[in-house]
Amino acid sequence: MFDPKYIRNFSIIAHIDHGKSTLADRFIHLCGGLTDREMEEQVLDSMDIERERGITIKAQSVSLMYEAKNGQKYQLNIIDTPGHVDFSYEVSRSMAACEGALLVVDAAQGVEAQSVANCYTAIEQDLEVLPVLNKIDLPQADPDLVCQEIEEIIGIEASNALRVSAKTGDGVEDLLETLIKVVPSPADYRNEDLQALIIDSWFDNYLGVISLVRVVKGSISRKDRIVAKSIGKVHQVDSVGIFTPHRTEMETLGTGEVGFVVAGIKEVKGAPVGDTIAGANSDVAALPGFETIRPQVYAGMFTVSSDDFDSFRDALEKLTLNDAALVYEPESSDALGSGFRCGFLGMLHMEIVQERLEREYNLDLISSAPTVIYEIAFKNGNVVRVDNPSQLPDPSSVAEMREPIALANILVPSGYLGNIINLCVERRGVQKDLQFVGAQVSVSYELPMNEVVLDFFDKLKSVSRGYASLEYGFLKFQPSNLVRLDVLINGDHVDALALIVHRDDARGKGHALTKKMKELIPRQLFDVAIQAAIGNQIIARQTVKALRKNVTAKCYGGDITRKKKLLEKQKAGKKRMKKLGSVEIPQEAFLAVLKVDK
Amino acid sequence: MNPIGLYIHFPWCIKKCPYCDFNSHVIDGQIPEKEYISSLINDLYDDVADFHGPINSVFLGGGTPSLFSPRSISEILSTTKNVLKVSDDAEITLEANPGALDAANIEGFRQIGVNRLSLGVQSFQDQHLSSLGRVHNNDDINYAIAAIKSAGFTNINFDLMHGLPKQDWKSAKRDLLQAISHEPTHISWYQLTIEPNTVFSHKPPSLPCEEMLIEIYERGIELLSQEGYNRYEISAFSQLNKESRHNLNYWQFGDYIGIGAGAHGKHTIGGNIYRTTKSRSPRDYLISPNKKIKTVSRSEIPLEYLMNSLRLVSGSELRDFEERTGLSKEVINNFLNKAFEGGFIDNKRRLVPTQLGLSFLDEVLLLID
Repeated sequence: MFDPKYIRNFSIIAHIDHGKSTLADRFIHLCGGLTDREMEEQVLDSMDIERERGITIKAQSVSLMYEAKNGQKYQLNIIDTPGHVDFSYEVSRSMAACEGALLVVDAAQGVEAQSVANCYTAIEQDLEVLPVLNKIDLPQADPDLVCQEIEEIIGIEASNALRVSAKTGDGVEDLLETLIKVVPSPADYRNEDLQALIIDSWFDNYLGVISLVRVVKGSISRKDRIVAKSIGKVHQVDSVGIFTPHRTEMETLGTGEVGFVVAGIKEVKGAPVGDTIAGANSDVAALPGFETIRPQVYAGMFTVSSDDFDSFRDALEKLTLNDAALVYEPESSDALGSGFRCGFLGMLHMEIVQERLEREYNLDLISSAPTVIYEIAFKNGNVVRVDNPSQLPDPSSVAEMREPIALANILVPSGYLGNIINLCVERRGVQKDLQFVGAQVSVSYELPMNEVVLDFFDKLKSVSRGYASLEYGFLKFQPSNLVRLDVLINGDHVDALALIVHRDDARGKGHALTKKMKELIPRQLFDVAIQAAIGNQIIARQTVKALRKNVTAKCYGGDITRKKKLLEKQKAGKKRMKKLGSVEIPQEAFLAVLKVDK
Repeated sequence: MNPIGLYIHFPWCIKKCPYCDFNSHVIDGQIPEKEYISSLINDLYDDVADFHGPINSVFLGGGTPSLFSPRSISEILSTTKNVLKVSDDAEITLEANPGALDAANIEGFRQIGVNRLSLGVQSFQDQHLSSLGRVHNNDDINYAIAAIKSAGFTNINFDLMHGLPKQDWKSAKRDLLQAISHEPTHISWYQLTIEPNTVFSHKPPSLPCEEMLIEIYERGIELLSQEGYNRYEISAFSQLNKESRHNLNYWQFGDYIGIGAGAHGKHTIGGNIYRTTKSRSPRDYLISPNKKIKTVSRSEIPLEYLMNSLRLVSGSELRDFEERTGLSKEVINNFLNKAFEGGFIDNKRRLVPTQLGLSFLDEVLLLID
């Protein structure tokens, strides 16, 4: 067992693109965790989606053996954290396993809002925060100005911040030397009963549930009999070990170590994230778990083919095991049949969940238009929350509708401030604060959550050439003049397309939405009318004209392979369409609202 | 023993047309005529082992086969007759392009046994010919037609396109009437479509609006029929008994040998259907045809059959389906029901497309399970 004195557990706080993964790779390389040949870029991002999108969604860990200049061997456990605004909840989970955090800031771009928020989380959890300036090899790097920003915006001492280039490797070794001096070692509870925190769990088809744990007290070994405190069921440990980053089995995980535990748990809910693992007969208390996360966006998800409903339910169950932020309950739609109402942290989360369900579980899914949660005050004094536009009550019984408001903190280089203010005003924002710090402006707005979650982040990036950063949280419910915007296809209401919108926006939204849907719905053998309505009043209409003919003019020469491939592709596309009455609607059309430009 | 077709591909052209997605290559220096013919002969020898039926049609297609000399064409034709049984009345078609043939050669083709000539007219109007990037003009067409007729050809096809940039019905009608005035036995009248990986797909020309395209299509079919050209396939029109036998064989899902660069073949042996392909690039082909054989899986066969046979106005019978595919008609029961409900076939007990079915064939084919 490793002496906790020589263990360092830390996270890396960094914005996307600020070089966190490159730095982690550099550490791994330096400590010989992978051979040159194995050294694929960004080994920590292990899901396909993460690698393709270049972002980290799930917490991952890697244990490295570092021989310091004084000859002492240290075990370094890096617990990776996601950088996207939608996934901030994962950050606090990762940090619960750490004693320290590296705050990595791009020396050319400066501090961004998400890192500020994550840094505060780290400070709240009593982590030692070590500021690091990355990309100092870039000609436009301005480390002094960025140090000043760190001090002014975050309020931590940054004059001694380490200056590195993860890309060239410059300064990385010094960084590790500083890290082992500054970051505290885990408390030495080697002689106590086992207490381990489950940071993450996921399902493996062969091994069952795999949990990533931080051993807080005692130790855990193969053949130990353990329980997850909230479940209470005894399991025998099949294997324990660490990620080097390869999964490497060990005899024992000791106090202070971070690694995996496999205990033949077959049911997906057997090892919930945030739970405490203890010995089978031990009476140690559960560790404080994690704050439960409240979803911000809700949407119905339905299988294209109703035959897939059972596999969909199983897939959701498995997915929620390591995605605690995903919630779901059965929903029945007139248009789309049986499915689930799912709650997400944001649009990226929703996209990723859908992509994972489709890829990893081979499902074809349709989502209804996403919505935030609204509060309805009835005339009789009752108050309910609604996460589904089709469940809005009869307006005559409603005293007041309230929409969720977010407080958004934005950091942006001053040159783009005008664009950002325009964007916030367009989204019905109310300015709360504005301060100049270093080369950036820190600005706070109260914005309707609805405007923030859908595409605000993307818009923010595009009006600031990617430089603005955002951090937001729920603030309050506020009375608002809201209406339900219905969509009719060939005269029939489609509940899955209904939206809750501000009355002032209804007309514009109705026009834009029907227009976008017209582009997305392919022409059929008959006219397809798309209408938007408020109550009984039609406010917009578009028609997808009937196809007049659809036949390949020339088919000679005996070569039918290409034509055949094309037909097969079209057929696959058709299978992914949902039939509403006789009209075939592609998946994208249900999300047309997201593609509408304001 | 069902008769089979022989397709021989000649992959060179003077210029590549911007709409063309066929396997054709611009001549680089000189066509290696001798070498190509000997490759064709080797290719043919290699293929014949699998085929036993009599050859009912030979199609010399391209590219531009008329760039080859009659002597070269004669060599491959006589080899064919030596190694395969060719029916006495076999249809032997040669494709020719105006601007790429001379009167002496035409005469020669006739003498070596070519009995049908297919001329790539596309349009009679210089304005359209230049928007299609053709090398020829109206004068070249008239020269070619005169030469073809004086050489004694009586069985003649014109390839004609419609839906061309800036074309309206009046101009399309002028093309049709001019074609008809030369009394060809057959007209292939097909709409310009933009195919992937062509110049037009990268730089799309502006095409007539949909209303105009439909008007041209509908009125054109009507005009051709009034003038005695019977529409027997989606884009093929012929005088009585002058259907292209070679193409009919494709549409009836018959077998055929395909030799030459990028040529495709289809053969049925012991209830299995095989498709053959050859190297596409002429340079590779000259080294070796590199024949590839692929078995068509049973699940793909219905689509292959229907995408061909439903192009025919007279369609086919369910027993033809069974005979040509070796499958039971039950496997297309679902399709028959759906296609009939949609109004695309006239009857659940045969495969005869309605007018709607002909106009929407690509939709109909999506109904196959």
